[in-house]
Parts: sequence; C-alpha cells; structure tokens
Amino acid sequence: MDDKTGIDDADMAQALSARAGDRRAFAGLVRRHQDRMFGFLLRMLGTRDEAMDVTQDSFLKAWRALPDWRPEARFTTWLFQIARNAALDLLRHRLRIEFVSVDADPAHDMVEDYAPSPEKQFSDRQHIGLLQRAVDSLPVDQREILLLRELEDMSYAELALILGINEGTVKSRLARARAAALTNFRHYAGESPDD
Amino acid sequence: MTDPHEVHATDIDLSAYHDAELPAPSRLRIAAHIAACPLCAKRLADFAVLSADVALLPKESLGFDLASVIAGQLPAPARSSRRTPGPGWLGLLPAGIGATVSIALGIAMGGVLFGGGAALPRETAAMSVFDSIPPGGLCLGLDSCYAEYSNKTGVVK
Repeated sequence: MDDKTGIDDADMAQALSARAGDRRAFAGLVRRHQDRMFGFLLRMLGTRDEAMDVTQDSFLKAWRALPDWRPEARFTTWLFQIARNAALDLLRHRLRIEFVSVDADPAHDMVEDYAPSPEKQFSDRQHIGLLQRAVDSLPVDQREILLLRELEDMSYAELALILGINEGTVKSRLARARAAALTNFRHYAGESPDD
Repeated sequence: MTDPHEVHATDIDLSAYHDAELPAPSRLRIAAHIAACPLCAKRLADFAVLSADVALLPKESLGFDLASVIAGQLPAPARSSRRTPGPGWLGLLPAGIGATVSIALGIAMGGVLFGGGAALPRETAAMSVFDSIPPGGLCLGLDSCYAEYSNKTGVVK
C-alpha cells in the first residue's frame, strides 16, 4: 500500500509539471506506467502490435488531455480510463469481441522461472497457461474489470469511475467475472464443476 | 450443500467480502456465515486463490523506452478547456472593442459618402446624363432646348 501511495505522490508531482508543459515530467510518467498499461492492453486486445499502438496512442491522448486532468483524480485511474476507452474503440472497430485462442500462441504459455524443479516448472507453467486461457476467454466487460481489480489493485470506486458504471454494478460484474473465470479454468483443466 | 434450506452467501457478497468492500454490518454477517458454512468458505477460498493466481500472470513488458519514441510527437501543450481568463464577459472584451471600432468606421465612411463633400459633384455629373440638356450644354434638338437652357443659366443664345 505504501508503494501505491509513493507512486501516487510521484505521479501527482510529475503530472502537475507535465500539465504545465514539462515534457521531461511527462516522459517520467510514461516510463513509470508504460509496461503496466501495455500489459493491460495486451490482455484486452490479444495482440502485441495492437497493444503497442494503443499504448502509444493512449499516452499521446493523455498528453493532449492533461490540461483537463484534475489533481483530485488519481493519475493512474485517469490514465487507465484513457487506455480502456482506446482499447474498446479498437475492439468495436474490428467488431471482434472474442480473443484469439491462446492455444495458437505459444508465447502465452511462457512464464518466468519461478520453480526449482522441472516438474514443478512444468506444472506451474501449465497452471498459469490454463488460468491465462480462462481469463482471456472472458467477455470483454468481465475481463477488463477482473484485470483492473487483480492486477492494478483498483478500488470499487476507481473501477466505477473508469468503467462508467455505479459501484453496485462493479460489485456484481466483478463477482460474475470471478465465477466465470473459475468455471473456465476448471473446464480447461478438465475438472468437474463440483471439484 | 448439507442443508437445502440453508441460505448461502451470494457470489456478489463473497466477492465484495474478499475485496474488503462491504460495509461493516454486511461484513460481520458474511464473516459469521462463512465460519459456519463450509460451502461458502470454500467459495471464498476459490476467489482468494484466483486473485493470487491472476497476480502471478507473467508481467508483460513493452521492451523499449516509449517516452523517447513519442517525445518528438508531443504537440505543444494545449490550454485547458475549463480555464477562462476571469469572468466570461471579460474574455469577449477584445472582440467587442474590435466590433465597435468596425461599426464606427463604417458609420464615418458612410457619412462621407452620403453627407456631401467630394462625392457630390460626381453624383451631379452622373445625374446630368439624364437631363434634357446633355453635359456641356450642347443640344442638337429642338429650339425649346435652348429656351430651357436660357431659363437655367440666364444666357440667351
């Protein structure tokens, strides 16, 4: 939580400078958030090229919109709102809501070297691969809320702001997303629903 | 499910409980229920495992410094659309002054054109084309022309 506060403080200072036209401050913001935003967009869009393009476009849009950013809003929330809207625009544009199957992309199964033994590595890799497939198979509205909550640690109030819905809807949509992800995971793992 | 009449906690409540996003009374109620219901406790544990696993998904990296890539593409910072220089009418002052000066200039120029001065002889000359006596007093027509000329000028030919 302290890390989050520290990042927020740094964001605040740099965003205020960037808003006044300081390009170096904006570069600092880009460097701090580019991988997080790219990771979120990659899981939303499914392809690296598109995720790269949308990441870049989102930062350019953020720069142009910075004069309208208010310090009362957490910078990350505001930034992810821009990225999420850009991703949805692209998804609408290509009229494709379903992800490309992760089976087709071996890179999806790649995972860092966490475990000591080859068996454990294989097991972990398989587990993470299945989970990733389960998340990627979710409908867009469930996938985005799950990722923003679990990976970006957004509160329900922040999720409501980013997604343009009320907190009651955040609660129900997130619960549905979790239930669906668990169902998908068990399905891909060959487990029965009662396991 | 051990007791078919038992009311279980909903996924919505369990999910919000897991996120510590329930108000205190609901939180206490769910906590008491979980302590007595293995089924809901298991569901809550599933949500917790899912959260932990999703957090373990590989962190993707862009792989290059985006800041230096877009540095040359950043346009000049725009002015805030919310900021206005003082009260609303003050921002219209330059345009108002310009409009007033334009109208005043128009009136003055119109006055010069219609109020006499240098333009008048030109107008008279132009109108004389339609007089019965042409410019220069030359008339090759009837004698009556000369009579009219005499009446106007006092010169008898």
